[in-house]
Amino acid sequence: MQHVRNTLRQLLLIGISIISLYPVWFMLSTALKSSKSYTLDPTGFPTHVTFANFSTVIHSWPILLWMRNSLFVTVVAVGVSTVISIMAAFAIVFGRGPGRESLFRSNIALMAIPPVALLIPMYTLMVSLGLINQLPSVMIFYTGLLVPFSVFFFVNFFREIPMELVEAAYMDGAPHRRILRKIILPISGASTVTLVIVNAIFVWNELLVALVFLQSNTSRTLMAGLALYQGRYVTNEPLLMAAAFFSILPLVVLYIFGQRFFVRGLTAGIGK
Amino acid sequence: MNSTVLHGDAASKSTRLTSSLKRHVTIKFLSSFCVVAMILGVAALPTAGPAGAASKKTSITYWFWGESDIPGMTKWMQQRIATYEQQNPDVKISLVPQSNTTIIPSFTLAAQSKTGPDLDTQWATLPTILPALGGSVTPISNYVSKADTSHWLNTNENTYKGKIYAMPLYMIGVPLVWNKKLFKKAGLNPNVAPTTWAQFLADCKALKAHGITPFGMGNQDGYFGAWMFAIYEKQMLNSISQLTQGVAGTGNAETKLLGSLKSMYTSFQTLIKDGYVNSNVESLSLNQGWQLFPQGKAAMSFTTDGNALSWAKTIGEANVGAAKPPILGTGTLAATYDVTQSSDEFITSWSKNPKADAKFLEWLHEPKNMIALNKETGAFPADNQFPLKDITDPLARALDKLDTSGTSVWLENFIPPQIDSNADIPAGQLITSGSGSPSQAVDLWKQQIALWRTQQPTQFKQFSAWASSGS
Amino acid sequence: MESMNSPSSLQLSIETDERSAPDERKVWRRRHLWPYGYMAPVLIALALVFGYSFVEVVRYSFYAGSVGQLTYVGISNYKELFVDPQFIHSMFNNFKLLFTVPIVTILALALALVINTTFRGVRQYRAIVFLPYILPATAMGLSFSYLLQGNGVLDSLLKTLHLPFLIHDWLGSPSWVMFSIGGVIVWQQFGFGVVVFSAALLAVPGETIEAARMDGANWWIVQRKILIPQIKRIIEFFVILQAIIVLSSVFTYVYVLTGGGPAYSSSVMEFFIYQNGFANGSIGIASAGAVVLLAIASVFIAIYLWARSRAAKAAG
Repeated sequence: MQHVRNTLRQLLLIGISIISLYPVWFMLSTALKSSKSYTLDPTGFPTHVTFANFSTVIHSWPILLWMRNSLFVTVVAVGVSTVISIMAAFAIVFGRGPGRESLFRSNIALMAIPPVALLIPMYTLMVSLGLINQLPSVMIFYTGLLVPFSVFFFVNFFREIPMELVEAAYMDGAPHRRILRKIILPISGASTVTLVIVNAIFVWNELLVALVFLQSNTSRTLMAGLALYQGRYVTNEPLLMAAAFFSILPLVVLYIFGQRFFVRGLTAGIGK
Repeated sequence: MNSTVLHGDAASKSTRLTSSLKRHVTIKFLSSFCVVAMILGVAALPTAGPAGAASKKTSITYWFWGESDIPGMTKWMQQRIATYEQQNPDVKISLVPQSNTTIIPSFTLAAQSKTGPDLDTQWATLPTILPALGGSVTPISNYVSKADTSHWLNTNENTYKGKIYAMPLYMIGVPLVWNKKLFKKAGLNPNVAPTTWAQFLADCKALKAHGITPFGMGNQDGYFGAWMFAIYEKQMLNSISQLTQGVAGTGNAETKLLGSLKSMYTSFQTLIKDGYVNSNVESLSLNQGWQLFPQGKAAMSFTTDGNALSWAKTIGEANVGAAKPPILGTGTLAATYDVTQSSDEFITSWSKNPKADAKFLEWLHEPKNMIALNKETGAFPADNQFPLKDITDPLARALDKLDTSGTSVWLENFIPPQIDSNADIPAGQLITSGSGSPSQAVDLWKQQIALWRTQQPTQFKQFSAWASSGS
Repeated sequence: MESMNSPSSLQLSIETDERSAPDERKVWRRRHLWPYGYMAPVLIALALVFGYSFVEVVRYSFYAGSVGQLTYVGISNYKELFVDPQFIHSMFNNFKLLFTVPIVTILALALALVINTTFRGVRQYRAIVFLPYILPATAMGLSFSYLLQGNGVLDSLLKTLHLPFLIHDWLGSPSWVMFSIGGVIVWQQFGFGVVVFSAALLAVPGETIEAARMDGANWWIVQRKILIPQIKRIIEFFVILQAIIVLSSVFTYVYVLTGGGPAYSSSVMEFFIYQNGFANGSIGIASAGAVVLLAIASVFIAIYLWARSRAAKAAG
């Protein structure tokens, strides 16, 4: 009985794994086919593997430039939002004075605001600042969008730190700057990495804002570039799939090496 | 509460704390990372960008479209640019390809921010004229002499109040193409195209009876529907002003327009209901749907000259026939063919070097470049210096004969882009997806025309003035 | 080097601030005002991105036209919104997508319960199931657009399995398209649910389960009577979070898979705002749509905040 149950469970899990991975496999296998062999047999195993699609994407699409832009935007938006959120969370948890709790609460509410609702005013603002088609336009917007969750995340983490640890230092007259640097930051390493990963995934995967703010070919992020080239290459499935595979590759590699950070960070929004 | 589940529970907190202290180095790394990130952010500000670099090159950004009309167009343009840059080392042109779904939205967006391309491709007439009236286009006739523009064909499509706003590159007709092999298979005369709607339906019926998909098209992006509008709504009308006055809402013109739309959509619906169009028409884009024809999976299609020629290469020229789309309507315009410059090229109002832009566009019309266009793609250049009579390819000759047979109109160019995207496209999808009746399609037009009038008051005024000027 | 970082040495390493006696006001300011200095950057960011935008989006909703040529029209945009079939479709589609919430929740919970033991490969399975959640919807949407196309990969699979009655134009049929988009959302969110619920289940104290087993409760009773009630709160939060996601971040799926078609039948509010505000350049009506979306979103946010405060109370 137990044996049957175990086999059934294994079968179920294998089935679910296939469903989870099939679209990724379809992407990769299509990318490895020529256009002709795809038309003949879209689902078959790529028998005559070709890397021509990958080299076309690299050589005749600005995909490396888009990747660089995505990376650049991700690093800046995530970096800035992390730093300012740590500062604010530190003040909220360890500071005194009114208004701290309301700032925390408003962050919780803002976490769930649909970004699209902010898009029109941000767009007109960027137009008047002359930042359309410039990477700082999305960097600013993303930074703002990342702040609520980041503050929420750090406040929750800081609240788990035993108060005595901080109070002792405070009694000794250490300035808060030093408390943050010498006590709080050293124990926040893992959590910070977790948050950085969550936020980086958001920025890397974001489409709508990039689509609207970055119209010029040289300033696009990877997702915006991919979406805008979709229409033009829709009849060349292998080429499009090769480009799509490039866009997921960094995430898959990161995931394989840093799985626990992904899981911990992405589930952190629940239950706090 | 339960969150501890995800963060480790309270008991292990202190041990974690100690071990975390070992991550001091990580922290230093992280904070320096953040500082670097901020510096990078500042460095990315526009003032520090490459624009400030001491380069005297004139750089021209060109948002270009044309591949969908004429396969090979982009390649031709890339070759031209390479040659031009060689001859003019101080000019750098970056070509950005657009697709059917991005051509209008991208430029609408650029026009709102007044940044973006120096040169842009738009569909002719209203998609060009309306942004021009909104101040986003510099008339090309300001920079190119009359002696030169006089060689261009169909400049009337983009002329308003004496100014030519954009330059044509090519002319395309929209023929019905049919696969002669498949016609034979269905027992039809492979050399005779249906000329009336009734004959067309009869041919479809015969093809379907032999298990052949009669008509291959794609409407995921709405362009099959838009083409039905362009070809068949036109056949219902006696003049274009019946359409433009209807949109402007003068007198009872709107009611009349809606009535004619209804009969067009009713015929369109028959085609779908009887199963004469590929069953996945709604999930293929226009370009994807077109692939059915060269793959031998559909017997007929509406397409452009450029595609017809390209497909003839795939399935053999002897197998491809091209004719005027079958006649359905009884309007005066039913006698016209569907020829247009389709897309046009213009200088944006915010371009910093309109002279250099114009010089490049003008250069494209030099005879050797126009001949190269025809050589590369088989398509017909929009220039009267091009020696049409030198064309020997029989299919090309047949297409050319159609194109030059009389007056020509592409109706879709005469509706404002917002009505095109909010009424024309979804109304056609109501029909092809079977989710709406012809009267619902017409209601949609009515609603969206009304919404456009109130949502774009300035554009509406400009449109009405343009419509009443008889353009 | 490492030993330097033991807690005691750390305490010592914090030097006391004994620089020349600063005047009292400075000390007071440092004692009491520093939190505001620390919060300032975040406040500025929030004020710019959220505060400014909220005010402006409401203002724009009373205008018509494109950027640079706006005309004041009062509340007419709101009136038009509710006669515009595209907007009505879009709003209902957002609500329709709520059907994915119970599906994801139930499927994920079921799998989490099934794998709530240690057996060979459990970690690997969990890792595989979670993967879709982190992948960009743009890229995966492209892949799905080919899989779900009429006569596409899924349909030919169904054909070879001799299940012709299941064959549909998954993206082109107005009656199926929302199910297809919902299916892709379920595919992506499923792993997230599994991981969240698995983590919650692991934290349920083993003794409770053992006690129930001793009393003769079978597997199903243990799940239903012990485990599920124990993680009720997590389930609640998960449900609310999913509802917020289908309301406010499904643009990418729609843009890549269908472009809102056929005939608006797969448009959502986000897509409506994008289409009208940016592709058509009518920012007034798009802003009015954004205000309506904000109003609906705030209902969900209120539910979320309420659930939080209730959970906090329950936790003491």
